Amino acid sequence: MTATLERFRCMACGHEFQEVVQEDEDKERTCPRCRSNSIRKLKKAAEPAE
Amino acid sequence: MGNFTVTIRKKARYVDPGLCNACAECAKVCPVVTPDEYQMGLSSRRAIYIPFPQAVPSSYVLDMEHCLGNNPVACGKCAEACEKKAISFDDRDQIVTREVGTVVVAIGAEVYDPTEMDDYGYTRFENVITSMEFERLICAGGPTEGHFVRPSDQRQPKRIGFVQCVGSRNPRMGRPWCSNICCMNTVKDTLLLADHYPDTRSVVFYQDIRAFGKSFEDMFQRSKEAGVRYVRGLPGEIHEDPRTHHLIVTVENTTSGKLERHELDMVVLSVGLQPPADLRKISSLLTLSKTSDGFFMEAHPKLRPVDAPTRGVYFAGMCESPKDIKDSVCQAGAAASRAGALLNAGKVTIEAITSRIDEAACTSCGVCVRVCPFGAIQWTKGTPAVVVEAMCAGCGSCAAQCKPGAITMRHFTDEQIVAQVRATLAQRPEEKVFVFACNWCSYAGADMAGISRMQYPASNRVVRTMCSARVSEEMVLEAFRCGAPVVLVSGCHYADCHYINANRQTVKRVQSMWAKLEKAGVRPERLQLEWISAAEGQKFAKVMRQLDELRRTVTPEEIERSRKAFKPKVRRAAAEAATAAPVPGTAT
Ligand SMILES: Cc1cc2nc3c(=O)[nH]c(=O)nc-3n(C[C@H](O)[C@H](O)[C@H](O)COP(=O)(O)OP(=O)(O)OC[C@H]3O[C@@H](n4cnc5c(N)ncnc54)[C@H](O)[C@@H]3O)c2cc1C
Ligand SMILES: [Zn+2]
Repeated sequence: MTATLERFRCMACGHEFQEVVQEDEDKERTCPRCRSNSIRKLKKAAEPAE
Repeated sequence: MGNFTVTIRKKARYVDPGLCNACAECAKVCPVVTPDEYQMGLSSRRAIYIPFPQAVPSSYVLDMEHCLGNNPVACGKCAEACEKKAISFDDRDQIVTREVGTVVVAIGAEVYDPTEMDDYGYTRFENVITSMEFERLICAGGPTEGHFVRPSDQRQPKRIGFVQCVGSRNPRMGRPWCSNICCMNTVKDTLLLADHYPDTRSVVFYQDIRAFGKSFEDMFQRSKEAGVRYVRGLPGEIHEDPRTHHLIVTVENTTSGKLERHELDMVVLSVGLQPPADLRKISSLLTLSKTSDGFFMEAHPKLRPVDAPTRGVYFAGMCESPKDIKDSVCQAGAAASRAGALLNAGKVTIEAITSRIDEAACTSCGVCVRVCPFGAIQWTKGTPAVVVEAMCAGCGSCAAQCKPGAITMRHFTDEQIVAQVRATLAQRPEEKVFVFACNWCSYAGADMAGISRMQYPASNRVVRTMCSARVSEEMVLEAFRCGAPVVLVSGCHYADCHYINANRQTVKRVQSMWAKLEKAGVRPERLQLEWISAAEGQKFAKVMRQLDELRRTVTPEEIERSRKAFKPKVRRAAAEAATAAPVPGTAT
């Protein structure tokens, strides 16, 4: 099973955070700062420039 | 529902159980020696053997993987020795097909393999064993005929340590769950030792002793009275004295706050339980789902604890969650009764709210099939999808996801919901926080806030849907078109979703809507998502306060923008219903 580091933004308080996400995980996301479930998954950090 | 076709592979035994009288002559002449799986490899067996003493049927079986070969027959000694002529090397696997009405899933659990926990030296030190190996060593039918000896010198150990929660209650290892049976199994083991060998000293290292079941506390007290020491604290490391093979356990006793050093003859790792290897395969065969721990998820944790979410499928035993024999037997009895009730029902009542697919409007894309948590939609590529109504639970994920609008939820249509959206926002929408709440949890959570007299702004307007996954993109956009400053989609927590896992579709949809809003120049934060359970009146009130604050930040210009940013999609079904509801955009 592969795990990736993903970026998230809380749409309630604006807090941005990273979390390791397992490939087939089934997990409710909560903002570590304000406990909101409005968690937007952000695009992966840009690949290093060629 | 029901109506399963089951294909069973009946493995070749090479011994006819009808003829075999278990005289054991075959095993006596078999030249093959291989580790005995049942004895955890602590003793050996022959290639022809009885898997374990209570095996049904009580007949020998030939393990072709280890047999010297049957094609051509390389040895054949067993067949020569068999008086009953029960052995046939020509036996082949058979495929049996059965039509059944119900299925009980009882595939058990697996024990944790502590190889990776190098700190405890399971692979390095012979005298560190698992609770499973202990079971074999203390058993009269075990490799030592019940003489409890330690592996390094075959001598009876005097000082035995038990380490609890090995592979359980450890979030860092991704194994946060309690394996339920290990505390009492260790208590039982210490009593067995005290009974068989009164001169042994047992010490148990634990984080909590969970003796919650009937007469469990009594057993725990008896163990303490028998002189077993219980030390609160899990060892950090185990070392071995290479000369004596004794084990040195260092542990912080969290009750006394002192570091303790124990020299022991043997250490038993009380290994936890984990979902069985085949769980994933069985899941996809029967469209089942699992909880965050990886065990099977029941249809409802309190009200339907033995039913699978797929109708006609039931759970028994540890595959649903770790449990002891008594609980497994209880659940098995319940599962059998539930299955019997369905088989004898004659007629079944289906949900009033079910999905219906308009064949003519269906574009045969198959999206509905993918999002249906119940496997209730049948579809072959190139043909319209069809709902098996007896299996549909009415969540509406399919209808919300159907691009051509070919799906109607009976008695709870898109048009009815959209009409509620329009009516709610017909006057002074800018003063309102628009809330979609699922029937089972969030709506009940709102009720709870009210019943508990919690204070929150009166600006919210709630429209109920059966599941949060029922809320389509169009419904949310309609709220914005009608001038809503803020829209909340709320549903059950992951573990509580009443439609297996339909609310995962809600997450996907809201994610894509945030992108869509952003692209259209609408602040995506104006759409919010929250999981609110029936008990979380507090959370409902808190969210309402926060959303009211958010509402106050939304300017008239922003509202105007979101009114116009999204063109209404004229759906075939919606167009038909246009005579009943006002045209989108006229509700200003
Ligand atoms: C070390 C240890 C000690 C224990 N001691 C006690 C005790 O003292 N008292 C007590 O009450 N409980 C005890 N338990 C718990 C007890 O073992 C369980 O409660 C019980 O085994 C649960 O029964 P089950 O039928 O659910 O699962 P299992 O006993 O695991 O049976 C499941 C069966 O399904 C089979 N299977 C798996 N996948 C498939 C498949 N795809 N197709 C067909 N078959 C499949 C497996 O081979 C297995 O035979 C102990 C457990 C352990 C690990
Ligand atoms: Zn937050």
